[in-house]
Amino acid sequence: MRVAITGMGCLCAAGGTLPQCMATLFRGHRAPALPRRFSTSHSDPYPVFEVPDFEESPDLLRTSAMGLAAAREALKDAGLDEDALKGLRVGVCVGTTMGSTLNDESFCRAFRRGETPDLEPMARIRRSNPAEVIARTFGFRGPCQTIVNACSSGTDALGIGADWIEAGLCDVVIAGGADELGRVTYSGFISMKIADNTPCKPFDLNRKGLNLGEGAAMLVLQSETSRRGRARGYLEGYGSACDAYHQTAPHPEGLGLKRALRQALGSVPVEDVAFVNVHGTGTPDNDKVEGRVLSELMPAVPFLSTKGYTGHTLGAAGAIEAAFTVACLEEGRIPPSVGFDTPDPDVGICPVADITPIRSHRALSQSLAFGGNNAVVLLAKGERP
Amino acid sequence: MKPVRIHGIGVAGGFGTGRQAFEKALESGLPPPSLRVDLAALEAFQPARTLRRMDSFSRLALLGAHLALEDAGLEPKGQDGLGLIIASGHGATVTTAHALLDSMLAGDAFTSPIHFANSMHNACAANISLLMGATGPNLTVSQFDLSVPSALLTAHRWLREGRVERLLFGAVDEHSDLLEHLWRRQRGESQDPMRPLATRVESARPGEGAAFFLLSTKEETAPVYAAFESVTVGRGAPVIPSSPLRVLGADGRVELGKTYGAMAEGARIACFTPHYGSFPASPAFDMAAAALMLRRGHAFASPQGEANDTESTVLAADEALGTQGLSCLTWVPEGFGVVDLAISA
Repeated sequence: MRVAITGMGCLCAAGGTLPQCMATLFRGHRAPALPRRFSTSHSDPYPVFEVPDFEESPDLLRTSAMGLAAAREALKDAGLDEDALKGLRVGVCVGTTMGSTLNDESFCRAFRRGETPDLEPMARIRRSNPAEVIARTFGFRGPCQTIVNACSSGTDALGIGADWIEAGLCDVVIAGGADELGRVTYSGFISMKIADNTPCKPFDLNRKGLNLGEGAAMLVLQSETSRRGRARGYLEGYGSACDAYHQTAPHPEGLGLKRALRQALGSVPVEDVAFVNVHGTGTPDNDKVEGRVLSELMPAVPFLSTKGYTGHTLGAAGAIEAAFTVACLEEGRIPPSVGFDTPDPDVGICPVADITPIRSHRALSQSLAFGGNNAVVLLAKGERP
Repeated sequence: MKPVRIHGIGVAGGFGTGRQAFEKALESGLPPPSLRVDLAALEAFQPARTLRRMDSFSRLALLGAHLALEDAGLEPKGQDGLGLIIASGHGATVTTAHALLDSMLAGDAFTSPIHFANSMHNACAANISLLMGATGPNLTVSQFDLSVPSALLTAHRWLREGRVERLLFGAVDEHSDLLEHLWRRQRGESQDPMRPLATRVESARPGEGAAFFLLSTKEETAPVYAAFESVTVGRGAPVIPSSPLRVLGADGRVELGKTYGAMAEGARIACFTPHYGSFPASPAFDMAAAALMLRRGHAFASPQGEANDTESTVLAADEALGTQGLSCLTWVPEGFGVVDLAISA
């Protein structure tokens, strides 16, 4: 597999565009805060990473509006305007956690009381399937798929979108992930006791859990025959495997992750990998498993978690982290894994603590998910200066 | 490239549980009075303690998965490397409502972790892979009415490219109080029979169910129902298939009738939605019926087929198909899906 990435767009707590996000990462800046967009009755509120200053349209769910904003940035970055897209077979593949869930709080509350609530909130959900929104807005006619694979959704969407190009089904695929943060998700993660009430500390001895975030990232994937400009990067491999071990905990030996890593790498030797952008949520289990797998399979390869800058953006995370990975390959360096301070002997390996130059042009981005899903993409630097 | 074949079919719907019950309903041509699923048959596959924390949506999916593996003669455990793809338009609607109500009624601190975990769209895929030891790639797709053809595109690709050799593909949607409320307000309440080929009248009724398939590129011991020729999905005007034999996904929703009429024009057609009702996963039942028809070489009668107002010929009961393949068609304003199946050599 070798599919060109010709454009990228991203918004999250670290910034409203991909360049803004990268600047934030290399400044080492992060700003988790208590939720502002929704109220909560938790007596001990948990910090989150919300996207500031993003005004979604009342017609769409915030998830889809953020996905659309990222798609616009990515298409512009790829130099693909309406004329350039004319006649091309364009598909859309987007990961999220709750793509079509009928979970409007006000409607359900009124329904529960036996009232006859206005149907508009449900109609808005029907209009807001994240992949469909992008396809509809730009008039794309190709395959359209919303993936709801929990936290690996964004990575899976990239792998599946690239496959559509490889198979000749599409000339262009907009692939990525989008997820908003709401009260139910916030309370749900707290109820599972995997959230940290302080800024998250991926791989640190004293890590207590994750901070939730929100955002979106889209990558423009293009066939060689359709692209005109130089690529920013390449998607060279995709691996996916399930632990089949536990609903919410990763396999202690990371069996599924190892399998997904091997699939994504294919025949590429580990020595060719400049760095790994890991899932690194900051939960005790996740980081322990990822650390063990990395120390076994690629102990000399630098790695980082960017969730300290963005929070865990769930279905968007894999796409956001893939965009960061390609941008880091372009920059020739990776930012520090913010939040890490004290090594954990049980993890056995440490993320980068400073801005670190990289030595080759390939990197991995990996996601672990609820249900035991593991997804990995192998990314390579392109030719664009 | 190795052909992708259907070796097992596991279905549960208003017609009953299992491939045999479905075939019996199709042969009778008589739709069931109720379009709800009875999950009691699951107890034959899993002990009560395993099911205790599993919600109705996961149970429905698990039932379909077990039935498909059983039909294919495979063990329901230790399925190392088995891929799993689930298509669902709405996901776990009952549990999602519970998860919302937890925090609305009792406060955020009382959100149930079990309700929250089961409300995740891929919770049923997680449960199935866990119980069956399915360690291959695992995917859940939610594209409303196009969930089935969209997910099937990926299933077909994964098998064709050799990412997996065996894959369990399932479509599942459950009915709920909330969906019933929405349905009644949008479409009214009717106990009249569905007449999906009467394209100018509203006759849809809400259904639910699970339809699973064991797909493989390996030489399996289980017999083959049919092979996939192609899966095409897209937006805009539907691609009219070249096959003159078409199974329509028309389900009595009047706003879809005109386009289904155009897709039927000049073809020999069948439509079986009255057996399972209108819901996002129903195109998988169309595919199950089509595969069963291909294997026997003769048609099933379309319920209320005499009410056909399209420019097409409805296949009669036991009429010889006379072709090597057929197309299953799904259309909604957001897009279309065409699944071409063929008799497997």
